[in-house]
Amino acid sequence: MSDMTYTSGGEPPLRFPKTVLFKVGGATFGMVDALLEFLRVLRGTIRFSIWGKRPKGEVLNQMYQVGNRSLLFVCVTLGCLGMVLVYQILLQVNRITGDTSQVGAEFIKGMVHAFVPSLTAMMIATRVGAGIAAEIGSMMVTEQVDALRMCGVEPIEYLIAPRFIATLTMTVILTVIALAVAVGAGSLMAWGSFGVNPAVFLSFDKVTPGDMITGITKAVVFGAAIPVVSGYCGLTTRGGSEGVGSATTRAVINSSLAVIVLDFILSALAYFFLQSKGL
Amino acid sequence: MARPSRLLLDPLGAVGGAVMDIATHLGAVVTLLVRVLRSLVPPRFDLPELWRNLYKMGNQSVPIVMLTAFFVGGIMVVQSAVFMKRFQATSLLGWGAGYSVLREVGPILIGLMFSGRVGSNNTAELGTMVVTEQIDGLRALSIDPMRYLIVPRVLAMVIMLFLLTVLGDLVALFGAMLFGKLIIGLEFGVFYAGLVSSLGVSDLTHGLVKALVFGLIIALTSCHFGLNVKGGAVGVGRSVNSAVVGSALGIVLSDYFLTYVLT
Amino acid sequence: MIRLKGVHKRWDRPVLDGLDLHLERGVVWGLIGPAASGKSVLLKTVCGLEKPTSGEVWVDGQEISGMDEREMMKVRRKFGMLFQNNALFDFMDVGQNVAFPLVRAGGVDPEEIEERVASRLKAVGLSGSERKMPNELSGGMRKRVGIARATIASPPIVVYDEPTAGLDPVTTSKIYDLLRAIQDQSHATVMAVSSDINALRTFVGRIAMIYQGRIIYDGLESELDGCQDPVVHQFIRGELEGPL
Repeated sequence: MSDMTYTSGGEPPLRFPKTVLFKVGGATFGMVDALLEFLRVLRGTIRFSIWGKRPKGEVLNQMYQVGNRSLLFVCVTLGCLGMVLVYQILLQVNRITGDTSQVGAEFIKGMVHAFVPSLTAMMIATRVGAGIAAEIGSMMVTEQVDALRMCGVEPIEYLIAPRFIATLTMTVILTVIALAVAVGAGSLMAWGSFGVNPAVFLSFDKVTPGDMITGITKAVVFGAAIPVVSGYCGLTTRGGSEGVGSATTRAVINSSLAVIVLDFILSALAYFFLQSKGL
Repeated sequence: MARPSRLLLDPLGAVGGAVMDIATHLGAVVTLLVRVLRSLVPPRFDLPELWRNLYKMGNQSVPIVMLTAFFVGGIMVVQSAVFMKRFQATSLLGWGAGYSVLREVGPILIGLMFSGRVGSNNTAELGTMVVTEQIDGLRALSIDPMRYLIVPRVLAMVIMLFLLTVLGDLVALFGAMLFGKLIIGLEFGVFYAGLVSSLGVSDLTHGLVKALVFGLIIALTSCHFGLNVKGGAVGVGRSVNSAVVGSALGIVLSDYFLTYVLT
Repeated sequence: MIRLKGVHKRWDRPVLDGLDLHLERGVVWGLIGPAASGKSVLLKTVCGLEKPTSGEVWVDGQEISGMDEREMMKVRRKFGMLFQNNALFDFMDVGQNVAFPLVRAGGVDPEEIEERVASRLKAVGLSGSERKMPNELSGGMRKRVGIARATIASPPIVVYDEPTAGLDPVTTSKIYDLLRAIQDQSHATVMAVSSDINALRTFVGRIAMIYQGRIIYDGLESELDGCQDPVVHQFIRGELEGPL
């Protein structure tokens, strides 16, 4: 009897490290598995985007879908953010120096190499990334992806590659449009609330070739990351409606996170290799 | 496969349709808000559900928010480093990073990530419950879905996003400080001095009020789209998509108005 | 035509547990079993949609479990498959759905594809529905489109996963009539899974039962009633008392 009490009392501390190890081990295996699968999707996407065959007009169709879904959304959000940023900056500048002549030029420079590419990509990750995962996830749970494979079609080639090319192209285009909208809205805000003349505000003097290269590189990299991450989330959908929901959730969060981490890396690279050399 | 563009064929109709669509959703969200408020005075909701949701949502979002905030702090420093260096004003870095993180970047990005993680998960959960007729099941057991499901979730999201923003602000400032040292060699002390000398409590509260409003917007939007799922698994995916887009739109638009109102 | 040797498949629990099977060319084989007994997994393993954890899967003289995705694509062309929920492509109309296996196989010119789609749709009783979208059709009609798509390329092996799930008894009989008519023309090797045992028995020549990842009965349909295994006995009669 006393023996029994001892064993049952002594069991939890014995079991505890074991379960923790088990869980950590399982999670590590899961992560390695997921990473390998992700790399497979990435490799396949790049390979099929270059050499694969696609149904005629599918890339254009997808580009239209991406543009149609996100043009208005991106314009409204980036327009608002442009105005808010100008407002906050001018508030501070007025408090400290009161010299508003340089604000426009610095604002536009910051928009080109930093804010517009990353915020546009965040919005596209939300709109398009979730859409890709929801579409492909629904096709997974209704066995349409299996049906494609039974017809001798590689899902990455047929579903992801066209979305990859389309999202990449459209992200660059939308970033340029968003830049125009954000700068325009910001200049209106500066003019309306602080009386800064648009002719003074809209100055591209401070924008260097380095800023342009940084901005475009960011748009391209984000535009490539979003469809691959979301497509991967869609293709790993399991289970019924819960599965589709969680695939869509994972796509939003993972592609947004990818944008933030890549933004950090690219900004650091730009600082070391371009900006600190005065480019 | 390409459908003809309505935006080109019938631009007025397309824009009008979009406006009507937004108005319908907005109306439904406001109605939902009224119903939530009505069950709050006097408080009639399931308290254990609130705790369970707080725990679950915190669990889901703390790691992702901390990671985001850490990198956002880094991004703020890297992107303003060249500017600060040019003006020989590296001592202003603490002020610049603090100002933008506390007022704008912190609440917005943490809000977007929270919407992506918790809001969309909430939509998916509620949507699945609708699709599998579990909500009708609750009603059949004469349990009010409002009190049992919706109100605890809305409250939990508002509280949780507020707490996460406090935590995220701290982590972002820590990240900025760390990367300021690593990348432009700015001493911690200088950063800290810049931070405390020119920032006031108002900068912190400015961001935290925003966090409260964002939390409410995310909560109501995600519940609304979750409860109105139609059409099985495909519908759940579509609703999650609409919910995150609606939340992002709500966050950015309300940020615009709040910035005015709060200064 | 199809041979499985000691096939194991496990996720968190064993799903297929040392399975052996041999199907000759032209046999019409039915598979029954309780829910979650591994029926669908078995079909997907044979088609190469799932890889077995261990064991060999031979299709038409080729071992497929060790193949990579590209080699597998060629093997899959030998199959026509009807999925549980039809898995019609919802972004294509009926005509494009049915034509898809031919279009992908290549080497058939567009006019011939159109002709074959029309005659296939006529055979399943859906003449002239080429331009309809799948979501405009009833459950039975979608099933017919799925059957047309599975059989249009005249594959030597046809797999039917729950061909009558969710259909009423009359529609069920009509679908099996259709399957029989198709079989009389094509003489393909057929694998069919269904939980509607009685309807399935009117279609197949050989029937097997899977239970806990193993095949516990495999023999002529006419001899199923005489089987002495208590699990089979209970399952086909739907009795409450027994090992299940």
